[in-house]
Amino acid sequence: MDTAINQTTVNAAGEQEGTPITNQYIVVLLGSEFYGIDISNVDNIVRMQNITRVPKSQDYFNGVINLRGEIVSVMSLRKKFKLEDDEFTDKTRIIILKPDHQEPIGVIVDVVEEVVTLEEESIEKMSSDSRNERAKYLLGVGKDGERLISLLNIAAVISDDER
Amino acid sequence: MDVSQYLEIFIDETKEHLQSLNEQLLIIEKEPENTDTINEIFRAAHSLKGMAGTMGYKRMQKLTHQMENVFSEIRNGKMKIDAGMVDVLFQCLDALEEYLDNIQSSADEGTNDNEPILQQLEAILNGETPAAGGSDSGSEEKAESGESEHVSIDFTFTDFERHAIEEAFEKKMNVFAITVEVEESCLLKAARAFLVFKSLENVGEIIKSEPSAQDIEDEKFEQVFKICLVTESDLDKVIAIIKNVSEIKDAVGEKIESIEEPKPEKAPEELAAESKDEKPAAAKPEKKEAGKADDKGGAKQKAGGKPVVNRSVRVDIEKLDVLMNLVSELIIAKNGLISTSSQNESKSSQSFNEQIEYLERVTTNLHESVMKVRMMPIETVTNKFPRMIRDLTKKLDKKMELFMTGEDTELDRTVIDEIGDPLMHLLRNSADHGLESAEVRAQRGKPEVGTIKLDAYQDGNNVVIEVSDDGNGIDVEGVKNKAISKGTITEEQAESMTDKEIIDLLFKPSFSTAKKVTDISGRGVGLDVVKTKIEALGGDIEVKTQLGEGSTFIIRLPLTLAIIQALMVELGDEKYAISLGSIQTIEDIPVEDVKYVQTKEVIHLRGSVIPLIRLDSVLDIEPKEQPDSLTVVIVKKGDKLAGLVVDRLLGQQEIVIKSLGKYISNSSKIISGATILGNGDVALIIDVNTLI
Repeated sequence: MDTAINQTTVNAAGEQEGTPITNQYIVVLLGSEFYGIDISNVDNIVRMQNITRVPKSQDYFNGVINLRGEIVSVMSLRKKFKLEDDEFTDKTRIIILKPDHQEPIGVIVDVVEEVVTLEEESIEKMSSDSRNERAKYLLGVGKDGERLISLLNIAAVISDDER
Repeated sequence: MDVSQYLEIFIDETKEHLQSLNEQLLIIEKEPENTDTINEIFRAAHSLKGMAGTMGYKRMQKLTHQMENVFSEIRNGKMKIDAGMVDVLFQCLDALEEYLDNIQSSADEGTNDNEPILQQLEAILNGETPAAGGSDSGSEEKAESGESEHVSIDFTFTDFERHAIEEAFEKKMNVFAITVEVEESCLLKAARAFLVFKSLENVGEIIKSEPSAQDIEDEKFEQVFKICLVTESDLDKVIAIIKNVSEIKDAVGEKIESIEEPKPEKAPEELAAESKDEKPAAAKPEKKEAGKADDKGGAKQKAGGKPVVNRSVRVDIEKLDVLMNLVSELIIAKNGLISTSSQNESKSSQSFNEQIEYLERVTTNLHESVMKVRMMPIETVTNKFPRMIRDLTKKLDKKMELFMTGEDTELDRTVIDEIGDPLMHLLRNSADHGLESAEVRAQRGKPEVGTIKLDAYQDGNNVVIEVSDDGNGIDVEGVKNKAISKGTITEEQAESMTDKEIIDLLFKPSFSTAKKVTDISGRGVGLDVVKTKIEALGGDIEVKTQLGEGSTFIIRLPLTLAIIQALMVELGDEKYAISLGSIQTIEDIPVEDVKYVQTKEVIHLRGSVIPLIRLDSVLDIEPKEQPDSLTVVIVKKGDKLAGLVVDRLLGQQEIVIKSLGKYISNSSKIISGATILGNGDVALIIDVNTLI
C-alpha cells in the first residue's frame, strides 16, 4: 500500500483531514446493502441495549445509552438514510464512533459483518452531483470481490443536517 | 538567580496587592484623611516594589517605587490627596495590571515604560512637596528612645532596660508590669498583641515584653504575654486601654517601684524598627519608613493589614475534576448496590442494608467535601466592580453608587471563572443605559446619585445574582419599534407579543437599543453574549423592569454542576429526575379540582392559583388513561410556581449529572442532562426552570 496515494484520496474526499490513514473498513449491513466504516473512526462495537429516548431531539436519534459510565447519543443510520425503521434483533449492534477524538457517538446497524482491506484502486469515488439522497453521506464505493460496499463519510453522517 | 519557581506566587500576591490597592484607593478618595488606609496603601505599594525587584521586573519596580514615594509623602502629611492624584494613582494600578498580564502570559513584563504616568507621579512629587528625607532622622531618634529589652517582676531586665527604668523613676514616671491574656478563640493573636502595643505606645513607652516583640509578632506565644510599660498615666487607665482592644480576655498589672543597679546602654534602634514592622520579608528601607510612620501618626491599625495565614495548598483545578469524577463513579456504584439490594429483597440481610446505608453516608459526605473544596465566594469576582463603577462615574459623568450584598455566596470554581464578564457587562449596561443623566433624574424627582445593586444569594439548588438599577427601566415601546425597524419582527408579530416577549428580544444577537454607541456598551454584542454564557453554565437570566423606575436582571445559576439530590418520577414507562431543590411540595389532586383559566389547566392550592403542566404532553409521551387523582409535583422558580403532572413517584435519589453531548439536539432545553441509574439505565433530568 502506498501512503502517498492514500493521502490524496482522503484529501480529495475533502472531509477527513487529520484522521489517520488506513484502508481497513468495518463492513456492516443495513437492509440489503453493505456499508463500510473507516476503522480509524471506530472506538468500539456494542450489542443493542436499552436506549433512553430524548424528547424533542432530531428524529434520527434514538436516544442515549450508558457506555461504561459515559452518556453516548445513539442515532439510527436507517432513519438518517430514510430507510424503513429498525428492527432490533440479536444481531443488531451499536458502533461507537470517535472521529478525530471528538465526543463518541453511536450508530445502529443491522449486522456487523467483518473487517476488509480495500486497495485504493478498488475504490470508486462518489461524484458530487449524484442525485441519490444518500450520496452526501458517502465517500465512494469499494469493490470487495463481487460485493459493493458504500463507504461512509463519517463527518457527514454525524453532522446535524436539520440545523 | 532563578526565580521562575516563584513566578506563580508572585502573580497571585501581586494580584492581591493590586486588588487591595484598588479598594483602599476607593476609600481614600472618599476619606482623604484616613491614616489607616494610607498606611495600608503604602505597605501594599512597598511590598509590590520589593517583589517586583526580587523578580527582576525593573519597569514594574520603577513604577511602584515612584508610587511609593507619593504615598510616603502623603503619609508624612506633606501632601494632601486630591481627585487628580487619585486618577493618576488608578492609572498606575492599571499599568501595573498590564505588566502583570504580560508576566502571566509570557513571564516578561513587556516593554511599556509608562513614561507619562511616571512623569505625572514626578510632577505630583515635585509640585506639591519638598524632597523627602528630612523626616527620617527625627523618627529614628524617636524610635531609638523607645525600645529596649528588660524585665521586671518576673521579667529579667538587661542593663539597658534597667537604665531606661531608672530614668523613668528619675522623671517620676510610672513603671508597670502588665500581664495580658488573649482570648482562646482569637485567631490573630499577633495582630491583637500588636494592637495592644500600638495603643500603649500612645500613652507611654514599652520597654520590655515577654516573649520578645519579634516572637509576639510571629505568634510565638500562648494566650499570655507580658509588657513593661513606662508611662505618665495611672494603672487603671492603662488597663482600660488594653481591654479596649477586642478579643483581649484580661489584663492585670502592678507598679514596679525599684530595680537593681543600672548598667550601660546599648543601641536599640534595630530592635525598635523590627518590632514595628510586621512584614519581616519586606526590604530594608521599609523598616525605617514604617517605623517613622507609626511614630508620627500614632498608627493603630497596622496589624490589621497582616494577611490571615490560611493553611492551604494550591491544587490544579483539573486534579479536583478527576477527584470529582471518581466521587461520581463511587455514587453510581453505590446506587447500583442499592438497586441490587432492593431487587433481591429476600436475600438482602439487615446487615447488608446497614452497610449500604453506611456507604451512602460516606459517599454523601465525600461528595460534599469535594464540592466545598471547589467552592469559592463570589467576592473573588465582584471585588473589582467598585473600581469599575468609579471609573464609569467619571467616564459617563453620571453620579452612581454600587451596593453589593451576599459577596460571600459560594459558587463552583468553574462558574466563578466564567461569571465575571457577564456580570461586568450587566453592570455597565445599568450604568450606561439604565441610569438617566443627572438632569433627567432631577426632573423625575430621583436622588441625584443613581443606585446600582448587585445582590447574590442562594435559593434552593440555585444561586441567584440580581443586578438592579433605579434608572429608566426598559422602554418596551422603544424596543418594539427598534425590532420592527430592524426587521427582527413584523408589525403583526409585535401586536401579539407580550411585554415580556419583547423584552426578551434584547437577548437576541445584534440587538442594542442604545441611541448612541459608547465605548462602555451599546455595540449590540452584549446581552446575547451574556445570555449564551449563562446558559452554557446551566443557568438562565430574566429581566424585570418598570419604565421610569429601573430594571432588574436576575441570573439563576446551578449551585453544583455535578451531583444533586433529585426526585425520580415515572411517565409512561420512562423515568425522569427533577432536582429536589426546585420542588416545593407534592400533592394529590382529584381530577375534578382541576379548573380552567383561559383554556389552561390550573389548580387551587392553599390560596394560590397554580398552572398545571402535563409533562407527558411536553415530553411527547403517550398519555395514560386519566386516573381519578393526579400526582402533582409543585415546583418553584423564584416566586413562581407550577404543578407538574407525573404518573408515579419513584423516590429521592442522589444523581450524578452528565451532559447529553453535543450531537443530540435539545433545542427546547427541557432536558438539562442525563444520569445513570443504579441498574445502568439512563434517566433524563428535567430542567424545571425552562417549564415555568
